[in-house]
Amino acid sequence: MMELVRVDTQRAYAVIREKITTLELAPGAPVDEGKLALELDVGLVPVREAIKLLVHDHLIEAPSMGLFVAEVKIPELRQISEIRLLLECYCAQQAAKYATPDDLVVLEALCREQSQVPADEPRLLFDLDHKFHQAIAQAAHNKYLADILDDFFGLSQRLWFLALPHLEFLPTAVEKHLELVAAIKVQDEDRAEAIMRQHIQGFYDKVFEILQNLSPQ
Amino acid sequence: MKNKKQTQEALVLGIDTGGTYTDGVLLEYHSRTVLAAHKSLTTKRDFAIGIEKVIEGIQIQDPSSIQMVSISTTLATNAIAEGKGKRVALFLIGYDPELVASFQMERHFATPNFYYFAGGHDLFGQEKEPLDLTALLEKTSQLKSQVDAIAISSYFSPLNPEHETRAYNAISKVCDLPIVLGHQLSTKLGSVERATTAALNASLLSVLQDFIVAVRRAMEHRGIDAPLMVVRGDGTLMSDEFAARSPVETIHSGPAASAIGGRFLSHQDDALILDVGGTTTDLALIQGGNVTISETGASVSGYKTSVKAANLLSIGLGGDSHITVDRENNIVIGPERVVPLAYLAYQHPEIQNRLKALIQKTWPPPTPNWLEYWFLLRDPGDNLRAFSDREKTLIKILKAGPIAIPDLVKQVNALHKNQLGADELIRREIIGKAGLTPTDLLHIDGRHTPWDVKAAKYGLKLLSNHLHWEEPGLTEFIWTLSSELIAKAIIEFLTEKSIPPSSAHSPDLGLWFFRNSLYAEHPHLATQIHLQYPIIGIGAPADIMLQDVAKLLYTELILPDHYYVANAVGAIAGSVMVSEEILIYPHLSEAGMDVISYYVQARDGREEFEELTDALGHARKSGHDRVLSAALRSGADNPQVVVEEIADGIDSYRIRLQAVGNPRLSK
Repeated sequence: MMELVRVDTQRAYAVIREKITTLELAPGAPVDEGKLALELDVGLVPVREAIKLLVHDHLIEAPSMGLFVAEVKIPELRQISEIRLLLECYCAQQAAKYATPDDLVVLEALCREQSQVPADEPRLLFDLDHKFHQAIAQAAHNKYLADILDDFFGLSQRLWFLALPHLEFLPTAVEKHLELVAAIKVQDEDRAEAIMRQHIQGFYDKVFEILQNLSPQ
Repeated sequence: MKNKKQTQEALVLGIDTGGTYTDGVLLEYHSRTVLAAHKSLTTKRDFAIGIEKVIEGIQIQDPSSIQMVSISTTLATNAIAEGKGKRVALFLIGYDPELVASFQMERHFATPNFYYFAGGHDLFGQEKEPLDLTALLEKTSQLKSQVDAIAISSYFSPLNPEHETRAYNAISKVCDLPIVLGHQLSTKLGSVERATTAALNASLLSVLQDFIVAVRRAMEHRGIDAPLMVVRGDGTLMSDEFAARSPVETIHSGPAASAIGGRFLSHQDDALILDVGGTTTDLALIQGGNVTISETGASVSGYKTSVKAANLLSIGLGGDSHITVDRENNIVIGPERVVPLAYLAYQHPEIQNRLKALIQKTWPPPTPNWLEYWFLLRDPGDNLRAFSDREKTLIKILKAGPIAIPDLVKQVNALHKNQLGADELIRREIIGKAGLTPTDLLHIDGRHTPWDVKAAKYGLKLLSNHLHWEEPGLTEFIWTLSSELIAKAIIEFLTEKSIPPSSAHSPDLGLWFFRNSLYAEHPHLATQIHLQYPIIGIGAPADIMLQDVAKLLYTELILPDHYYVANAVGAIAGSVMVSEEILIYPHLSEAGMDVISYYVQARDGREEFEELTDALGHARKSGHDRVLSAALRSGADNPQVVVEEIADGIDSYRIRLQAVGNPRLSK
């Protein structure tokens, strides 16, 4: 059955989530259910349902009073980065072991597309980067691993947009992706793992640096 | 006592959104009694408006007691006919471009954006050529911002969908567009029909999704909380969720629902069903209690699909068909549908006087063109930037009220109505047309008089003056012509042969036979054509337009109770059905001489068995479980599974499974 509430909840979830990851709803900003419902032209019920899901995703915080977009906190960021590093490096290694020829065609296609996107199209680049990491996760052929990683991608997406205005290393990201695909292609597990480690570590180092500069203290 | 009655009653709501009217009925499901019915004009730009009006019109006392809503719709058929589907890229894997070109099949793919890729399988399910995934992904990245959906059809994919599945897996990782696979819609081997079906399905996905959400919203506004079913082209029901995924299956759902409703109300197991609507008359045949199904698959707007649908014929003749004259002053009815003059004058009282003035005018004698009025169906507002200069002028003129064609032509300095440049405005339902119709003749006869009788009379008078033909004889001729058109359609439908256009001196024997059977023209030879079944009339004009047809064909016209809303009744009368076809075929050795094993190819997977009996047994068992659970999920109550085994060439079989049950009501 196509339940209206479900259809509306899904849409509300997708739109609000995008607003948060693209920083249109800034970290720490209050979340106004009524305003969102009006803006999305849906009822309050689906907006509340969507917010519940986003609380579960750690993107919205619900203290005893009010609702707020989750802050980007440096200690939590460290926790996220540690887990991502652990899982994605393992993922890269497994992908080198299990990737099929079709997986490689997909990865190569994504790299090719990335290299063709002009640097002033951050949304497109972001989308392709996300798809690339998802494709690696799927190339590891472990659906539980891919599911867990999807949650962490969600938490990292905001960082991408936070860091974006201060980043100059985008072309190198594409280079890293290409190197990674090459390593997976020749089934060099260690190298795949090492490249992924560098790639992610580099990203988080940069984000830490930017956040420290941004924060007033 | 009252409580007991309430618990037994099961109220269901059937809705049919036709080309002209949206009909609704409230029905008690178990006793099958129609409790209320309502008709409202279809709003093509937003079907939900008409649907909400119907729900409002039925005046349901307790909306929460409704236990099911079922709907048939011409939405898919109309969207295809009017080119309103979404933009689709069609990827053809393993198709031979030269072969397709040599049969001029490109036009049939239902999208101009089709591309060929290496790959595909052969008649034995073996890979014909490796799949060119790189090229597929390159094309995807090129196109993904220019289309709304992707359809994929691979050569012989019903035997082996591997290439479609691989393409799907890869493409879904690089783009977020909806993707439709040919093998999931059809197990028939016809590769062009499968590709067309996939492309049409892809183009209709969001159209039908939006429609279903709109219906659900209309239900919510009216406080109805119940399962929603959608009628398929063969008259069976599917859940709304299923319909949103395979919209192509709703092609012809309206006429199919009419046929089923006609049978339901008349209790006839063998009959010809004629549904006379405002725009068209639709024919279907009921045999042994079931609607006959087309062998070849549904066709729509010249596109052949592999979708199962009722065997139907639709002709452009209905209560609101335009009555005009051609260049030789022959009377023509349809196929264009217009607003009856009686209705236009009812809405705009000044029209009556204008028509009166016309027939009093002697020189120059007014032509029947003066009976065609154009008017503004809806005001596009003040922001006219999107319109051409000519369109703006037309809108401005029509804002002052309806205007007859010769006046309009003069006002825009055109020479002929073909130069008015209003096609787009008409298509978008900004401009509407009115003219003389069979509905007007009914007003004159006094058989159906809700609107302005005088306006209708003046209209006919003008035509009678123009043709120098006395009114009674003229009216009779128009009715005879209409009966002849319908009788001809019946004979062509049942014989699958065509009768050439009527002309007095044609040497064609078929035409002679047809005319002589209708009009007993020959002095020495008598012929008759007997229709062996009764005609069941459906739709408001059926009473008047079919009486003579039945006489001409020596049969009886049955007009069951509530025949004018039988289409909406049919929307509820169908059963919920889920079907699957499993293909079993041999795995041959390299040399092609020996059978190594047997493949069992189901919609979502393939298995291999050494022995044929094991393969067949497995197909029956696994298919049975799948269709049963799918039918339960689709809202069937206690579904029964029928399994059929069909030999399909050497060592090849098809296991056809159908799970059918009545719809499960919500409480």
